[in-house]
Amino acid sequence: MINHMAKRLIILLGCMVSLAYAATPEKVLHLELSAAETGFDPVATSDLNTAAIEQQLFEALLTYDYLARPVRLIPRLAATMPVVTDQGKTWVFTLKKGVYFCPDPVFKGQLREATAQDVVYTIMRFMDPKNRSPYKFLVDGKIIGLDELGDEARKSGHFNYNASIAGLEVLDRYTLKIRLKTTDYNFSHAMAQPMYGIVAREVIESYAGDTASHPVGTGPYRLGRWIRSSLIELEKNPNFRHEVWDFGSGSDPKLGSDPKNNPDPADARVIAQMKGKTIPQIDRIDIQVIEESQSAWLSFGKGELDMIGLAGQFAPMALTGDRLKPALIQRGIRLDRLIDPSIAYYFINQQDPVLGGMSRERIALRRAIFMAQNDEEMIRVIHKGQAFRNAYPIPDGVEGSDPNYRSVLNYNPREANHLLDQMGYAKGPDGYRRLPDGKPLSVRYTTSLSSQDRELDEMMKKSLDRLSIHFESEKLKFPEIIKAERQCRVQMRLSGWIADYPDGDNFMQLWYGPHIHENNGSCYQDPVWDRLYEKTLTMPASLQRDTIYRQLARLLELNGVTKVSTSHIRNVLSQPWLLGYKAHPILPSVWSYLDIDDTQRPKP
Amino acid sequence: MIAYLIRRIWQMIPTLLGVVLLVFFLFNWVGGDPAYVLAGKMASPEDIANIRHQLGIDRPLWEQLWIFIRQIVSGDFGDSWSTHEPVSQIFRTRLGPSMTLLIPLMILETAVAVLMALLVSAFRGSLLDRSLMVASTMVMSISLLVYIIVGQYVFASVLGWFPVKGWSQQLSQNLTTYAVLPVLLGLLVSVAPSLRLYRTFILDEVGQDYVRTARAKGVSETRILWVHVLRNAGIPIVTNLLMGLPALLTGAFLLERFFAIPGIGREIILAVERSDFPIIKAATVYVAMATLVANLLGDMLYRVLDPRVNLD
Repeated sequence: MINHMAKRLIILLGCMVSLAYAATPEKVLHLELSAAETGFDPVATSDLNTAAIEQQLFEALLTYDYLARPVRLIPRLAATMPVVTDQGKTWVFTLKKGVYFCPDPVFKGQLREATAQDVVYTIMRFMDPKNRSPYKFLVDGKIIGLDELGDEARKSGHFNYNASIAGLEVLDRYTLKIRLKTTDYNFSHAMAQPMYGIVAREVIESYAGDTASHPVGTGPYRLGRWIRSSLIELEKNPNFRHEVWDFGSGSDPKLGSDPKNNPDPADARVIAQMKGKTIPQIDRIDIQVIEESQSAWLSFGKGELDMIGLAGQFAPMALTGDRLKPALIQRGIRLDRLIDPSIAYYFINQQDPVLGGMSRERIALRRAIFMAQNDEEMIRVIHKGQAFRNAYPIPDGVEGSDPNYRSVLNYNPREANHLLDQMGYAKGPDGYRRLPDGKPLSVRYTTSLSSQDRELDEMMKKSLDRLSIHFESEKLKFPEIIKAERQCRVQMRLSGWIADYPDGDNFMQLWYGPHIHENNGSCYQDPVWDRLYEKTLTMPASLQRDTIYRQLARLLELNGVTKVSTSHIRNVLSQPWLLGYKAHPILPSVWSYLDIDDTQRPKP
Repeated sequence: MIAYLIRRIWQMIPTLLGVVLLVFFLFNWVGGDPAYVLAGKMASPEDIANIRHQLGIDRPLWEQLWIFIRQIVSGDFGDSWSTHEPVSQIFRTRLGPSMTLLIPLMILETAVAVLMALLVSAFRGSLLDRSLMVASTMVMSISLLVYIIVGQYVFASVLGWFPVKGWSQQLSQNLTTYAVLPVLLGLLVSVAPSLRLYRTFILDEVGQDYVRTARAKGVSETRILWVHVLRNAGIPIVTNLLMGLPALLTGAFLLERFFAIPGIGREIILAVERSDFPIIKAATVYVAMATLVANLLGDMLYRVLDPRVNLD
């Protein structure tokens, strides 16, 4: 009898649970990507759109705190922050226990736990020449024994994943010791990149040749329906561990970096909306590839998208200065605004036969060219006001930045002309300046074929006209620009760099001599500069390191190597029903930290 | 007829070879080096060399050309250099959406242009004729981009008659919901030049002796236009139509891009931007083949439309 009643009770309870479950509508987040994804094998990823999705599918050992500003590393797959010894040469990571990969036929229905060996395999993949990983540079030349494995693979055509190397030592199932060749306090940032999300060897081997279509990670979401270049659906990973939203308030960037004394008031709303909730709250993420910003803007206006990054040309329609238009505020739309950890900088090739070299005349010429660039006009015309003048090579929000830095290359055409006159760049009969030896002078400016770059050409011509210097335009396809830059064939260009990780080193390395033919587009090689920079490599973030960074920045200006022009402002608009959103400068996506209040969403 | 067919197919081989050589040398000359983009932000010269080796672009040109020819024969163009997706899969999955957009557009364009051309031919020199010709010129003078930007804003966003963008897996939903506005906007631009062209073809026929004879015999104007004139004007119309067929393979880049339609047009433009040669090679060869086949088909249709045409 009791047995019978118990059965009935269980059935009744089952029905109630099912009904309750059925009554809970599925929470769907609608998003857009401005460019098509390139496939979901983290090792092969180089673009931010794909990285944004991989951030949800895979988990790296570390990540960045959602609210803390300046950004702060926290454990993700790791149980705690790594133990760093031997002056930043030895790193011990301990993994969380009970972290499982999302279900996949390769696991034959079994739960598959992520272990230290998976981390070793994941890191090794970056050095496998077959994977030709764009983010190999984060471990290249760093881990003891790993480069040698890569070299062997290049010769034999086969990477030995079974090899034991001193640099990657598994201490137990959950503990990994990484030994570096030299001191590197930034190694933790490498282990926080979504590209370093942990993968399982059997999955990669089972889908060899098509790993980009089979992302199997431990992240809060897994890949659902996928129509390439059109629609990506992410659904909750049923194996995702129980994790609770528990971020503390960050600091108000305008007031200081201490969150206790200067908490960011915007964080209070986010914390009130999210604290204590299980991660993730949203059941499904529906991501559409919408390449045209007009289409995204109109879709957002109709409520079809829950969040968009505001494209520059729509800023005047949505913003008055740095505030939302009243019509949008009335609709409850929110604006999140932050300075991108990026710089736009002019550089001049130091090996160029006309503009390069370290003679006083050449340095003066380069400095004059930089001083003729009107950055405010650039912000107004090109960026539609959505950028600000930043003269320091390390942008705001990145470790080592200096908001008080004063440039010596600010816009000053009068001073620039005076400098050229002094150095013997006299004007010829045609009204244009000539080299001190009387030979003709012109500046070749390299840009891509895009419409925005046509505007850049116009602006540069205007700048050089201010100095009475002939302007030459070199139009190349983007891959050709990169090639020419790496071969030191570009004379002058406006380039950009966005932080891979929020440390000054990621920016300062752009002018390091040994990086010529890699990403030192100015082809600058100065033993004084290089020795100073090398000194910073062995230093943790500190005031001493910042002092050297200031010296390096000043040298770049004084030698007429580069002029940092602007940093971009990122504007993100979100609908009133989207809860818990705060733009993050480094994380490519924060979707698992969000929630949706469907009662506020307009009914179709 | 069979002899003619064999001869024409035989003649296609050198034409195709010419296209292959042109594409191959053009790409190698101005196509850009994809290794520098694929290598990422911080790559050493060794990394670039490794990528070039893997892509096979460090091999001698004749060897690369031979691989290209083998790919054409086998129909396997390998994988995309940027996304590793097989090229065959790219065409298989992206052609459907492009066709869903372009086939209705082509049918509608032809039907509307022929009907209107017949109408204005019947009233040649009248106010209707002149008004339509002026309107056609005006419509043709405005870029498709303007129609798309304004059309999407007015009809999709403000009036809400159509979705702003989107695509589904169901053909019926695409045809009745997502493709409607792009097709109408495409029609607005494409119908005008066709109308002007077809009007000329029809007017050429209207002035012929056989039309005068038919009128003298008392045949109705409707019958003259629909049966006699249209049949004879059919040859250049069919030629124009068939010349447009290969364009189905290249998609409609702007429409696809603005309405987020996962078609082949977007993919080809992206491939050009990324110097993704396998996709560019496949697209060029497919379009060249389609053009040759369309030409052949056109010649054969002439025979059907006009029995006096002798293919031999």
